[in-house]
Amino acid sequence: MNKLLLSVLCLLAVFVAAMPCLADTVNGVLAEERVVNLPQDQSKWYVSVVGNATDSRYNEIVGWFDTNASLKKLKDQVQFCPVTSDTAIYQARYAGNVKALPTVRMQKADGTVVYEAAGKYLPMTAAGLNGALAGAVSTAQGIRPILPWRRDMERRCPGPCPNPQPNPQPQPDPAPQPIDDGGTPNVDPDVQAEPPLWALTLVCVVGVLGGMTAGYGRKLYDKLNPPVK
Amino acid sequence: MKRILVTLVLLASVAGCDVGENLGASAPKKERPTVNVPAALRQSNWRGPEGQGSCVHASMISLLRWQYRLKTADHWRQTYGDGEQPEDLAAKFDQEGIRYAYVTNGDVRFLEWACRTRRGCGITVMGGAHMVALVHLDDKWAAILDNNSVEKFIWVPRETLIAEWKASYGWAVTPIYAPAAPLPQ
Repeated sequence: MNKLLLSVLCLLAVFVAAMPCLADTVNGVLAEERVVNLPQDQSKWYVSVVGNATDSRYNEIVGWFDTNASLKKLKDQVQFCPVTSDTAIYQARYAGNVKALPTVRMQKADGTVVYEAAGKYLPMTAAGLNGALAGAVSTAQGIRPILPWRRDMERRCPGPCPNPQPNPQPQPDPAPQPIDDGGTPNVDPDVQAEPPLWALTLVCVVGVLGGMTAGYGRKLYDKLNPPVK
Repeated sequence: MKRILVTLVLLASVAGCDVGENLGASAPKKERPTVNVPAALRQSNWRGPEGQGSCVHASMISLLRWQYRLKTADHWRQTYGDGEQPEDLAAKFDQEGIRYAYVTNGDVRFLEWACRTRRGCGITVMGGAHMVALVHLDDKWAAILDNNSVEKFIWVPRETLIAEWKASYGWAVTPIYAPAAPLPQ
């Protein structure tokens, strides 16, 4: 009888342990009729990196968002869009409004551009780009949307547009980003290199010793060479 | 002379108002539809190996392309086809490692979420016999992209669309990745 009771209890325990697995999540979203944990990420900003897939400069900049800690952190906070010039989405949504390739553009959720740099105006290093983006984020709160008279300027005054060479090689899909709500990104500001404390102390000690030595030397000189009166 | 002066002052004040309005911060122009899938990314319906329409797959492919999963979309086009059921599609998404969410209970909040986050979603219509992509939903209007006629978006009143969807088993499904960036403002 005891064995029977024990078996029943064990079965119950196994059943209770297995229950949560029936509502297991798939990448943070329940694959069931009742969907929960949907990302409320409509306020997330966008960072687009646009360029030719065969351009080493473009690939270098895209790579910064994986190798530079600050940019990697930013990438996880925004909708990150690496767009190559051989795609239809580039032709439809970027070709008419980028000045050159590669381009890095940061936008608010409503499309307001808070930072854009292209071609030779792009920062030369990952730290430089991070600093520029951090500055743009910090000043974005006071930014105004483009004035009505400036809208569609590219269409009205067509200028030289980048003319990329199509690359028929299919590009791999970008790595999926974490699912979260998000909002205004928090970009790490530039860290200024400060001298270590021991160096400052050493400079002070050397200065004091130097001063004392100079003072003593002067007195000694005066003593050895009395002024002629 | 006084009248002329008063008229000039009034005119100047009116002109001033106009200038002030131009300098003020006007709201950015919202893109319509929210999920503005470019024509080149829209997938038309096709006959699958069993001769059935592939409207569910076509809708998913258009949304995958909008969310910049271009290679996944191509793979899906080459691998799957014919009619589809919610559970079977979910199993295929699981098998392919694709992030997704769906409802089959006609919960309008799902549609609102999908359009608010600019992802869009596939929705059933015509009594459940067809799926189209929902690309816009606001207080008054909805827009769909029908894979049987991908040339243009079809605008319908919000309540009409919701009633049609609910009368069609209320199935809605979408991949979950970063949508295309909005047009610059």
